[in-house]
Amino acid sequence: MVLINSKDVSSQFSFEKEKAIAKSFSQRFQWEMILIGIGQAMIWLSLWPLVINGIIPLWAGFCIASLCACFAYLPSHESQHGNYSRGNPKMRWLDSLVGHITLITLISPYEILRVTHMKHHAYTNDHEKDPDYLSAHSGSLLKTIKRAADGSSVSDYEKSLEVFANDKNFVNSYTKAIPIALLYRATLLTLVVIFPLETLLLWWMPAKIGTVYTVVFFAYLPHLGTSKGRYKDTRFWSHWMPRYINHSMQLHFIHHLHPGIGHYDEPKAIEALKPFLVERGVPGADQIPDKISYNPLIKIN
Amino acid sequence: MLVEKFFDHISNWSKFWFGLIFLGSIINELANQSGMFISVSSLYLWTYGLGAMIGLIAKFRGAWF
Repeated sequence: MVLINSKDVSSQFSFEKEKAIAKSFSQRFQWEMILIGIGQAMIWLSLWPLVINGIIPLWAGFCIASLCACFAYLPSHESQHGNYSRGNPKMRWLDSLVGHITLITLISPYEILRVTHMKHHAYTNDHEKDPDYLSAHSGSLLKTIKRAADGSSVSDYEKSLEVFANDKNFVNSYTKAIPIALLYRATLLTLVVIFPLETLLLWWMPAKIGTVYTVVFFAYLPHLGTSKGRYKDTRFWSHWMPRYINHSMQLHFIHHLHPGIGHYDEPKAIEALKPFLVERGVPGADQIPDKISYNPLIKIN
Repeated sequence: MLVEKFFDHISNWSKFWFGLIFLGSIINELANQSGMFISVSSLYLWTYGLGAMIGLIAKFRGAWF
């Protein structure tokens, strides 16, 4: 029997106990993410002189830039949750710095992604209020890929400005990021006139590939077939792809339950919290292996 | 007021400007590098025009695909 209501859950698996365990995994400084975020942005930036001066061919630059774009979102995601500053107001600049720099590769303004992501957490799977609802529940993987590629997922964020028109903080943060979005657009359109193919293959195409990758693995697969509710809106899943290739998004449900847990601490946290997850009826929780650390979570049907 | 009008224009006509400048530049570069249109005079008018047309169609369709 799946237990849903907190009153049905024994005190052994109380929310307070769950929270205390989760908190013990929410302390560590996320240095790996900072390295990945700043590192991929620097590698991406260095591709421009290398390709323009003929040191490396454009096709190689395209492959490296696409890889950088696939690594670009996760470090900003940690920023969005304040997981570098960890509540220290003097360190908030680090969240902002990493968040902005890593998203250059994806041509995305940090503040817009931050505020819409907070709404995604608050209203996961709510068809009116979740900005990622249509990406997660498009009906098929192909539709989600098309929506991410043609910019529909960005339009969803514009619509959320109307949905949350009465939320002053949301509107302020969103509008603050519009000049950055325009600056990105102006830079792209200037560069394409001077370096047409380089701009196409080092920035625009890799950003599209990175966006599709991010939407499929962060928004679509973890929420596929799930409903509303703290323990019901994200699932444990597995498929043929080793978890190292998709940023371990099979484990994304723990992030929705406890966003403060650092990405690379999630496997250990899940191992510790597994009895709580099973008791609460998290979708797929009964299939979570007892040891995750080096388990690629492959499932071939 | 002027800034507001500018933002309105950008959001309403973004697909057209993207088609003209971005797609136009790419098509123009590909046409030049292919060498197939070497005899066409003022090739850039055709290439940027094609980009603008794609952008305009996307604007009125409301979607690129």
